[in-house]
Amino acid sequence: MKSLSIVVRDDAYDKILTPLAFAYLTASEGTQVDMLFVNWAVKALTAEGAANLHIDGRHADDEAKVRAGVAKAGLPTEIYDVIKALKSTGKVNFYACSLAAAIFGVDETNLIPEAAGIVGAAWFLNDKAAKAEHYQYF
Amino acid sequence: MDEIKITTTLDTSGKCCPMPMVETNKAIKNLAVGDVLEIIATDVGTRKDIPSWCERMGQTLLSTTERDKVLRYYVRKER
Repeated sequence: MKSLSIVVRDDAYDKILTPLAFAYLTASEGTQVDMLFVNWAVKALTAEGAANLHIDGRHADDEAKVRAGVAKAGLPTEIYDVIKALKSTGKVNFYACSLAAAIFGVDETNLIPEAAGIVGAAWFLNDKAAKAEHYQYF
Repeated sequence: MDEIKITTTLDTSGKCCPMPMVETNKAIKNLAVGDVLEIIATDVGTRKDIPSWCERMGQTLLSTTERDKVLRYYVRKER
């Protein structure tokens, strides 16, 4: 696979792990990965937001167990550290949706340096998602 | 297994997807063509991941063993 585009909507700690793991997996093989963070997930592209991601709802009580499992699997337990690991592959671009950024309080002052910027969804959908070999939505 | 000369061993024991594949991709880059990478894994997902990765990446899976839930893959770098 040459390119993969992923839209991430859900910001629960456990649910954001899967798209990040898929990105890590494919980037390690040389696939170009572009990720757009929309809705609440845009908060993951801030240091404070990434640090405050938790498991929601009926699985919330299992967070410590889940984090232990993540560590055992070999992944960093903090989402920001996972993002840094993905960035270090040189194959993953993180974009914040401009609408989500405006609604959920993300701007260029708190956007993590690993992010490629705040972008319009039209650009991402047409120039990244539509042109990617594969597209996923989480 | 005596006929396979191992160049490097990558031990991913205890780790799960995506890390065995991430580390395998890193390890293979550091080898020369003809070198053999031994991958030790306990993630049962590698049973399909490693053979399909070899086919996709143009590497040769020389042999696979499984004993006491420990999987060993022997991959020769071709490119």
